[in-house]
Amino acid sequence: MTPRIVVLELAQLEAAHLSDLLVQFADLIRASAPEAPLEDPAVARLVPDAYRDDPEAASEFRGLTQADLLDRRRADAETVLASLQQDGVTLRPHELHESSALEAMTVRLDPGQTAAWLRTLTALRLVLAARLGIAQEDDRDPEDPRFGVYDWLGFRLEGLLQAMED
Amino acid sequence: MTIPLEQVDLDADARVSPPWQTVVWNDPVNLMTYVTHVFREYFGYSPDRAESLMLAVHHVGHAVVAEGAREQMELHVQAMHDYGLWATVRQGDG
Repeated sequence: MTPRIVVLELAQLEAAHLSDLLVQFADLIRASAPEAPLEDPAVARLVPDAYRDDPEAASEFRGLTQADLLDRRRADAETVLASLQQDGVTLRPHELHESSALEAMTVRLDPGQTAAWLRTLTALRLVLAARLGIAQEDDRDPEDPRFGVYDWLGFRLEGLLQAMED
Repeated sequence: MTIPLEQVDLDADARVSPPWQTVVWNDPVNLMTYVTHVFREYFGYSPDRAESLMLAVHHVGHAVVAEGAREQMELHVQAMHDYGLWATVRQGDG
């Protein structure tokens, strides 16, 4: 059986902005202490306490899993970043020609890449939500363009899930 | 038939202590379709079961998605965290 390939179409400008986010995200993860409790609530959301009422057990679990989980987030982000490259080059928003920015590009994802995309879009949303202070599903500030990015990530995640069902 | 001693011990242990649970909690970020996808993909639940668990998470605020030995529940919780879901381990009420 040939592995299921998911085909994704997006504008070069979208790919460039997502690449930018991914680079920032990977840097943020890399800068986090792998085993200590995390000070940044956005990164902490990626590795929540596994025990609600038992700090000792939560801490032990964290010691066993946190470094690995964060490493996987970084590796996933790099997989997504690589899948967005064109001719081996990462697109940058300011380097795009005006004429090509809205041109569509096609990304073909094998099952492993698709899974990395789903986890990464989710992780980016979790980090952004923590930064934006989203506590309710419909928390929005129309003045803040980051909410647009947040919604775009959700739209792409939804589209990817839909494409897997088809 | 002889029953190995270890097995007797395990059974006795299972009777006195209630099983551990993997609990997934509602959060304002994760998409309902994504949560359903995770329950189907990771636990291999049917579309119906995955969806009703997702709805329980969404409306009740949390749902027990698996029960069993503590070590197994910790593996599940680690997997849920890997997917970006907010999950915890706890001991059942018995």
